[in-house]
Amino acid sequence: MPIILFSSDFYEKGRQLAEKTAETLGYRYVDREILPSVAEKYGIAEAKLKRALDETPTLMGMPSKAWKLYLAYIQEAVLGELLDDKVVCHGLAAHLYVLGVSHVLKIRILMDPDERAREVSNQNEVSLQKAGKIVRRQDKQRRKWSLDAFNQDETDPGLYDMVINISQIAPDEAVEMITTATGYRKFQPMTYSIKCLQDRELAARVRAALLKSFPDVRVQARDGAVVVEIKALKREKRRKAAAVKSIVGEISGVHYVEVHVINDIFRQAAESSR
Amino acid sequence: MSEKLKVLLLDDEPIVGKRLKPALTKIGCEVEVFQDPREAVERIGETEFDIVVTDIRMDDIDGMQVLEHVINKSRRTKVIMITGYAMMSLAREAMEKGAFDFIAKPFQPDDLRRVIAKAAEALGSSIDFEVPNQDEP
Repeated sequence: MPIILFSSDFYEKGRQLAEKTAETLGYRYVDREILPSVAEKYGIAEAKLKRALDETPTLMGMPSKAWKLYLAYIQEAVLGELLDDKVVCHGLAAHLYVLGVSHVLKIRILMDPDERAREVSNQNEVSLQKAGKIVRRQDKQRRKWSLDAFNQDETDPGLYDMVINISQIAPDEAVEMITTATGYRKFQPMTYSIKCLQDRELAARVRAALLKSFPDVRVQARDGAVVVEIKALKREKRRKAAAVKSIVGEISGVHYVEVHVINDIFRQAAESSR
Repeated sequence: MSEKLKVLLLDDEPIVGKRLKPALTKIGCEVEVFQDPREAVERIGETEFDIVVTDIRMDDIDGMQVLEHVINKSRRTKVIMITGYAMMSLAREAMEKGAFDFIAKPFQPDDLRRVIAKAAEALGSSIDFEVPNQDEP
C-alpha cells in the first residue's frame, strides 16, 4: 500500500488530518515523536532537531554545519520508517526529500489565509491584523526554509499529488478523498518504487555517517552500490578516500563503495595565498 | 506446479532474451522470446499467455502499446514492464494502465524471477523459487 506524506501551512490542522487518515486506513502514523530516538542515537538535544526543522541557520543562531547535520539525521530516521509501507508521515519535511518514489502520495493541506489569521489570532490572543502579518511571515519563512534545506519550494503545488483547501473541503471529506486515492493503481508499490526508496534510505544512512567528517559529501546508492563524492586537497585525496571506504564499508546493506574526490579549489586557494 | 506458466518475453536487445530465458525456464516457465514488437503482438493475438514481460522503449510499437493490447485481449494476463528509462511518471502510467509490476534495468535475473513468482501466485498458481547464489544466472 502507498505511503502518505502530509505537508500543511498550518501545522496543527495538518497533524489532525494526517492522524485521522492514518486511523481510517489503519496505517502507522509517524511525526516528530520520532525525534527523541534520533536525539538519543546521536547524543544531541531533541530541541535542536526541532529547531532544525523550523529555522534556517543564522549568524547568531544555529550554525549551518550543525543544521545540515541535524537534518541529515532526521532524514535518515524518517526514510528508515518509510521502508515499511502503510505509513502516514507529517511534520518531518519528508515531502521535500522523498522524491521520485511512485508509491509515495504527497498531500498539501491549505487553509484560506483569512481563516488561518483568525486561528492565529485566537491562539496567540493578538489582533487579526497582527495575526495576518504573522501568517505572511510564516509563509515566507517556510518557503525559505524548504529552499535552503532541500532546494524545493514547499509552496509549489507541482510538488504534490493532491492539494486540498480545508477551508472549502471539510476535514472528513478530505480524509475520504485521500483514502480513495490510496486505492489508485498508480500509487501502489512496485519493484521499481520499492528499490528507489531503499536506495534513498541507504544513501541517507551513508550521508548521515559521513557528514560530520565530510561536510560537502554527496551520496548516491543503487542496489547496495554506493558512490560517494567528497572534496579534498590533492595531498589528502588518498587518505580521505580510504577513510570514507572504511566508514561506508561498515554500513549494513553496502556491497560496493566508489569514492570520487574532487579538488577543493577554495581550500587550495586559501592555502596558497598564505 | 501442474502446468507450466506461459511467458512471453519481449525486448529489442537480443542479450536480454538470451540471458533471461534460461533463468525463467529454470523455474518452470515456458518462455517465448521476441525482439520485434510486431511479431510479439501478433503472437499475443494467437495465444493467451499467463505473463508478458516487455521492454518499454522500442521502435514501431512501444511497451505501453503492448500493455494496452494485452489488457484488451486478456485481463488475466500479468504484464511486467522493464525499462532502462525508469522514472516516476512512467511507472505510474504503466501501473494505471494495468501493469502488474515495473522493473528498472539493469536488474538481476533473480529480481525478475521474484516478480514472476508473485505473478504466478496472483494467477492462483505457484512456482518453486528460492533465491539462488548471486552469481548464478
